[in-house]
Amino acid sequence: MSKELEKAGLPVALVSAMYPVAEQVRANRIVKGVSIPHPCGDPSLPPELDARLRREIVQTALKALGAEVKGPTLFTPNMTVSG
Amino acid sequence: MRLELADYPVKQIRLGRTFRYQDGMLEVDGPALVEMILRDGRIVQASLAVVRPGDKVRITGIRDLVEPRVKVSGNGQVFPGILGPVEAVGDGRTHRLSGMTVVATAAYEGTVRAGLGVQRSALLDMCGPGAAASKFGALAHLVLIMKLRDGLSELDAHTAIQAAEFQVARRVAETTIGVEPSGVEVYDLSVRRPELPNVVLIQGCLTDDHHVHSGVSYYGLPIRESLSTVVHPNELLDCAMAVNATRGIGYFPITWDWQNHPLVLGLYRDHGRRVNFLGMILQRIRYETFHGKEVIAQNAAQLAVTLGAEGALVAWLGSGNAFVDVMLTVRACERRGIDTVLVTYEYGGKDGVDSPLLFYVPEANAVVSTGSRDRWLDLPEIERLVGPYERVQILSYPGAPVAEAKGQLTLDARDMVIGGVDNWGKESWVCNAY
Repeated sequence: MSKELEKAGLPVALVSAMYPVAEQVRANRIVKGVSIPHPCGDPSLPPELDARLRREIVQTALKALGAEVKGPTLFTPNMTVSG
Repeated sequence: MRLELADYPVKQIRLGRTFRYQDGMLEVDGPALVEMILRDGRIVQASLAVVRPGDKVRITGIRDLVEPRVKVSGNGQVFPGILGPVEAVGDGRTHRLSGMTVVATAAYEGTVRAGLGVQRSALLDMCGPGAAASKFGALAHLVLIMKLRDGLSELDAHTAIQAAEFQVARRVAETTIGVEPSGVEVYDLSVRRPELPNVVLIQGCLTDDHHVHSGVSYYGLPIRESLSTVVHPNELLDCAMAVNATRGIGYFPITWDWQNHPLVLGLYRDHGRRVNFLGMILQRIRYETFHGKEVIAQNAAQLAVTLGAEGALVAWLGSGNAFVDVMLTVRACERRGIDTVLVTYEYGGKDGVDSPLLFYVPEANAVVSTGSRDRWLDLPEIERLVGPYERVQILSYPGAPVAEAKGQLTLDARDMVIGGVDNWGKESWVCNAY
């Protein structure tokens, strides 16, 4: 899906817990997600920490969207949220 | 651990009023078996049918298949932890009725409406292309047809179906006690030859840890999140591995597959001749983070090294992201110097031209394909139905269209045919390049 969207001229950031699979299908901007059932957050965290993690992942994805890349590139959010 | 498996081949099953095995003919006391099944109040109706290869029959509502076995000596009894206490099995002498199965079919609506926990059942044709598509098309079957009480939970349904199935299987196997077998195979791994390579089987198992039954059980205990462990192959032969009996699916191994694991039996045949078979590593797969997948791959490889493995067969069951765990296991083994062969089915789509696998690693340099589960299958109209359903859902999602089970059916994958996917390489396959 991300490849087809990019063919149509829309940059895509793909948030995925299975980022090696995303690399293998040659998605360009890959954001490391938390887990397969919840790539964009972690419901096992207390709500305020989960909110911080979710914001960090979305901000990383937005950064990825604006980045110049040549081929599959992995963007890693800072998943340490307790600091 | 030394197990003698005495073989009693079944060529014909007869429903009668007594239990008897003689010269390939199995007679079972139908009313006694029905009465035994109906002792469980969760089963409101039960009947039996016999089908044989070539019959113009389609079996519906299939939940599980099992080969009748009974232990006549050694510790414990077959189906430990399910029909009896958790007693270590794999030693002594066990009788098997080969060439036949007990098929558990049940009408059950389920309480789960969406997701992977939805009850499912499969079909089996005894003639034509449907029979050719399944290894069970060539066996004789004693079919249990059950109706469950309305509103039963998934766990109640599972235990009711499974207990009935296994009790019947054990009871009919008891007909062989005191009868001379047609042959005896000895399963013993204690003697190794130092000049032969040490080989382990790594059996990846997708399990759903959040479902009431995870899909695969060991001594009756559903395996949830777990690190890898070592299982003696003889435990499989004594029926220590079983499945969720509310979900009959073509690509998910059933109890019969665990009793007759072709890679276990193949490695046993080669033990002391071409290899030393070290045993089976049971590896839970389908971790939900990449971290988890890397850990379980590393853990299984580490266990293989500890056992002294120089070679590993890697097989799996399941679908989807669990395959990432499998490929990472191949890589982890190869990086530790263990020569690894992966055994897997393929996807590939209707015409076999789509990507055959979800994920690849360069270390997977020896892969045995057991065929495509995606190839479409046309089942012609059939003369007679056996089983609880006259209408079947060909697809599993809620609201999927319902078709007349007797009619012509076009299946878009092998999932609906029990035994329709060759998970562990039991069948012989030929690959043609065009």
